[in-house]
Amino acid sequence: MSEGEIVGRVVRYVVEEIVDDASNVEVEVVDDGEDAVLAEVRTAKKDMGRVIGRRGRVARAIRTVARAAGDEEGLEVAVDFLD
Amino acid sequence: MDREQRLAEVELSRKTVDEAIADGLKELGLSSRDEAEITVVSEGKPGFLGIGREMAVVVLRPKPQQRRRRRRRRRKGGGNGNGNGRSEARSGGKQRQKQGQGQSKSSKPQQTGQSKKQNEDRPKNRGSSGQSNRKPNTRESAAVNKERPEQADIATQAEVACGFLEGLVEAFGLEAEVSSRIEDDILFLDVSGDQSEALVGQRGAVLDSVLELTRTVVQRKTFGAPRMRLDIAGYTERRREALRIYAGKLAEKVKEGGGEIGLEPMNPADRKVVHDAIAEIDGVRSFSEGQDQDRAVVIAPDAASDASEDGDSDE
Repeated sequence: MSEGEIVGRVVRYVVEEIVDDASNVEVEVVDDGEDAVLAEVRTAKKDMGRVIGRRGRVARAIRTVARAAGDEEGLEVAVDFLD
Repeated sequence: MDREQRLAEVELSRKTVDEAIADGLKELGLSSRDEAEITVVSEGKPGFLGIGREMAVVVLRPKPQQRRRRRRRRRKGGGNGNGNGRSEARSGGKQRQKQGQGQSKSSKPQQTGQSKKQNEDRPKNRGSSGQSNRKPNTRESAAVNKERPEQADIATQAEVACGFLEGLVEAFGLEAEVSSRIEDDILFLDVSGDQSEALVGQRGAVLDSVLELTRTVVQRKTFGAPRMRLDIAGYTERRREALRIYAGKLAEKVKEGGGEIGLEPMNPADRKVVHDAIAEIDGVRSFSEGQDQDRAVVIAPDAASDASEDGDSDE
């Protein structure tokens, strides 16, 4: 299993469930130091607001769930939502 | 709930301004204060032993370089004059239409049963208004008018919620059972199984987030969300019991000390547990203060008349 696989799968799944345009969801999991990964999330422009949510609530929830996914693999996780 | 508001800001209340800013930066994914616009709504007061304490309230939003293209949005208190009406002008900019399909297809978890793309298979709720609400250029007016497309019935919403949770469990690579029941128009969701513990997290933080996401998905796909409760691995039930005991202990303290005690922020369901517990104890009362995720229960002596009894809205 490659590092961050579960993280990538979970983040992608959640984001795709939230957006309108799932085909433009990109989730890239990159190394972020020892036992740490960074998940970079990109969506169609119009969808990013949904992914972030009111007062950043959805983004926060995604981060929390992503960290739980990281725990499954022994990884620290950060999530960036990128334009 | 999490309707179509986009947003690039967070509002936090913490014991101190510094703490709020630090947490806000974290939440926004920023590394330094330079990257955010910070609005201190209230400095807060320390109080004594949590009594008479006022939380510091801070609104942060990333500076335009970090987050362009935000829609304008005014909320009471939160509007710090950024993002003034630029949203329309933006759409002409560079298109972010990367084709990230490679991964997007392959690593998608297999979904069981009903969790296939509900976007496509909810025809009955997709009347004309539902349709138009999703177009970006009409979203704004929809938000202003608060007009809602007709929402799906709760059984459909239950199905969507279960489908989402099953897909999530699978994405985690866990074995767990997802079930739902509807009672008094509340959707009760349950995830159980040995491995489901992974979705609880410290003090239920992951569970709360899973619920938030479930709500968001249901809202998105059925244009409305019922009240929901989620239990994972029996955690919620255990927590309720612990909360009741905790509330009882605090009530004793309030009776002895005479002051108010503010609890940490909780979600509406937990606040309700506390309110219910306090309601059964003579000599104390409870109410909630603060906004959204910072809303917290305060336990006060029954006789006190000064406090802002604000008619608690927790159910």
